[in-house]
Amino acid sequence: MHRMIKALSTILVGSTLLTSPAWAETPPNMLVVGFSMSNILTLDPAAITGKETVQVLANIYDNLVGLDAVNRAQVNPQLAESWSVSPDNTAITFKLRSGATFASGNPVTSADVVWSLKRLLTLNLAQASFLKTHGFTAANAEQSFTAPDETTVVITLPKKVDPEIIVQTLGIVGPGSVLDSKVVMEHDKAGDLGSAWLTNNSAGSGPYTLGQWRSNERVILDRNESYWGEAPGMKRIMMRHLAESQSQRLMLEKGDIDIAYSMSAADLKALEKSDKVEVQTNGGSGFYYLAVSMKDEKFQKPKVREALRYLIDYQGLNDTVLPYFGRLRDRPIQTGLFGALPNAGYKLDVEKAKALLAEAGYPDGFSTTLRAISDAPFMNAATAIQATLAQGGIKAEIITGSGDQIYGAMRERKYELLVGRGGGGQLPHPDSNLRAIVYNPDNADEAKLTNFQGWRTAFYDEKINSMVDAALVETDKAKQVKDYEAIQTYYADVLPAIQPFAEVVDSVGYRADIKGLALNPSWSTRLRTVTKER
Amino acid sequence: MNNARFSAFGRQAGTILVTLIGLLILTFCIGRLMPVDPVRAIVGEEADRATYEMVAERIGANLPLYQQFFKYVSDLLHGDFGVSIRTGQPVINDILHVMPATIELATFAIIVGAGLGIPLGILAAVRRNKPVDHVIRFLTLIGHSMPIFWTGMIGLIVFYAALDLVGGGGRVSDYYIGLVPETTGFLLIDSMLAGDWEVFWDAVNHLLLPASILGYSSMAYITRMTRSFMLDQLNQEYVTTARVKGLSKSRTIWHHAFANIRVQLVTIVALAYGSLLEGAVLIETVFSWPGFGQYITNNMLVGDMNAVMTCVLLVGVIFIGLNLLSDALYKIFDPRTR
Repeated sequence: MHRMIKALSTILVGSTLLTSPAWAETPPNMLVVGFSMSNILTLDPAAITGKETVQVLANIYDNLVGLDAVNRAQVNPQLAESWSVSPDNTAITFKLRSGATFASGNPVTSADVVWSLKRLLTLNLAQASFLKTHGFTAANAEQSFTAPDETTVVITLPKKVDPEIIVQTLGIVGPGSVLDSKVVMEHDKAGDLGSAWLTNNSAGSGPYTLGQWRSNERVILDRNESYWGEAPGMKRIMMRHLAESQSQRLMLEKGDIDIAYSMSAADLKALEKSDKVEVQTNGGSGFYYLAVSMKDEKFQKPKVREALRYLIDYQGLNDTVLPYFGRLRDRPIQTGLFGALPNAGYKLDVEKAKALLAEAGYPDGFSTTLRAISDAPFMNAATAIQATLAQGGIKAEIITGSGDQIYGAMRERKYELLVGRGGGGQLPHPDSNLRAIVYNPDNADEAKLTNFQGWRTAFYDEKINSMVDAALVETDKAKQVKDYEAIQTYYADVLPAIQPFAEVVDSVGYRADIKGLALNPSWSTRLRTVTKER
Repeated sequence: MNNARFSAFGRQAGTILVTLIGLLILTFCIGRLMPVDPVRAIVGEEADRATYEMVAERIGANLPLYQQFFKYVSDLLHGDFGVSIRTGQPVINDILHVMPATIELATFAIIVGAGLGIPLGILAAVRRNKPVDHVIRFLTLIGHSMPIFWTGMIGLIVFYAALDLVGGGGRVSDYYIGLVPETTGFLLIDSMLAGDWEVFWDAVNHLLLPASILGYSSMAYITRMTRSFMLDQLNQEYVTTARVKGLSKSRTIWHHAFANIRVQLVTIVALAYGSLLEGAVLIETVFSWPGFGQYITNNMLVGDMNAVMTCVLLVGVIFIGLNLLSDALYKIFDPRTR
């Protein structure tokens, strides 16, 4: 080992004597952000899929409204300076601010907003589902989105729904991103509405423009010098593909990058000790959960599902496996959203679980399988749950695989137990959680409603469906809050197929001299406010 | 005579063609048997059925497998390598971008590997069972058996983080990105052409560590092979005869024994270079090196078969090319093959 280092250092020292010394830190007017970019497949806001892409586009495109970084339920003006809901709750009218321009210099008009929304539904790609859920389709887009004048956008709701959730939807990157229709249509190819061009070009009005995207290498964002709002602090943002957590940590410690987004818990923990680096944790979207398949006759028995609830070591998992990734949560609505009840306080209770299993007809437990993605923290959580299940007599064999394998099995409804992550939450509205985690409008195999985790688990409860639907259209706010509280209580009683044990949080490490970094939930952080204090 | 030569050439071309087709079929089967879903990669976890089916139709993933295969091959014959799902770019453009990064890395590595490996191998053979042989064998054993991502990580910690001798991940420091025009894609050449020596030295600084570590690992292999080839020769009777005849030791070694192993050495160096060009995915990942290995692996992981098949085809062509090259070198080194 020593010899190897010696041999290597001889080679290296010999050759590096020739080279110039490296800079000690990143340039003062450039922010360097490192994360794994393997999941970035396109930069077209209508087609994006992962949070990595959201992190890029949040800085390029403006929305009508913006979601508050701290107070999740709050919606702030962005391109729209105000909005109002019609008395009968069927239409929302947005008033655009004057003077906002796209990076091209074109003014932001109501026509651009309407065009962007229609484009989203016409292309019908990944991000369209946010609006399709609420009844918007390519066919009704013409009536749903109108621009009576240059600065007014009217959205007519195709079906009865809480208008607030629509306003929030327009605040998230993807469905709400406003595109420069003139520039995009100049690059329309065979009616693709500019999709091919937007894969690696941008046409937004945000604080930065896309300079360059090199797949698995880097994204360069350049300051939009004609940005209509407060001038961005950094001239350039360099986002670098750094697949390895260890590399991110080394480069962050050395000052070669300013912010590291996808580090492992071990590396984040090690960085807590450094005085040059700080760690910030903020709420994310969705939950970590244990899911059962209702296709399996054992799990059809409520007593068995209840027993499982007491065979999870909630506190232990959150103390050992989930720091930096999750925060203890056992209810199906994320904390901070309106109507969210405090935790039910479930605890590991082996005796109670054993009694329940005996009542269900399994005094000696049973054997089953437990699926989990082979990455952290899923694998560790699955191992911990396997151990507590064993205490109750349930022998669970762990099956690991890639995301495609694990969630693929769930989509096929061919699994028994599964540790997963999901459950909506991109919108700060309880409906976003509930619809993803428990709602299931049609339980038939042929329905293939794979976008609902409720369907994937084959859990069907008419009452909870109608409660979720009713709460969403309730216009009396106080009543709506009560409705969501009632759903959570009912959720606890009806023992659905998914039991959350934590809600997702995101953690980033950054250099201590970086000021103004306010993490937004779900990687939608706007880096406009970031400056360096040196 | 001409006819015979022509048919020999025809046979060779036929073999190459069959090899490439076999390679394509095998890759396609493996790629499709893998539990990855390119459509899911595009539409994401939350997409509904309608979106899924629309995208499947657009990229042709709804067709039966054999039709997908024939479509790829027929496009290929028209000179169309397809568009990568993952990058949205024509695959050929992607490859032209990632290949120079890998070639820079591999070439530097093979210079280290062969430049040190061959002399060390000969030295070890000549001083068989002497201390220097043990040291060399120990070094090569480590180089051969240590996982390269671990060596890479240790290298980063020691030479980048602790000693500050070399650059970290990537081909060049951030503040130099985009400063020199991409003429050839080879950063070292481009920066020389632009006369920007700061960028040149920074690129060298970033290249040194990953290339040395790759070079160390291929050095280990080349040294061990050279040693065993050489020992084989040194044990032959002609060596004893030559020495008895009064030929000096160095002349015996270099003019006779070494001359006889040149052909074998060419083969192993060519193969080692080939496997470096194929991409050292682990080193590329550890050093965030945007090369061919990462490209092919990431595309494999999302089932981007246009890109994967074209890459595999390229790897096949590289190996065939290197084989032809080493055949040509045989003819120079070994009169019997002429």
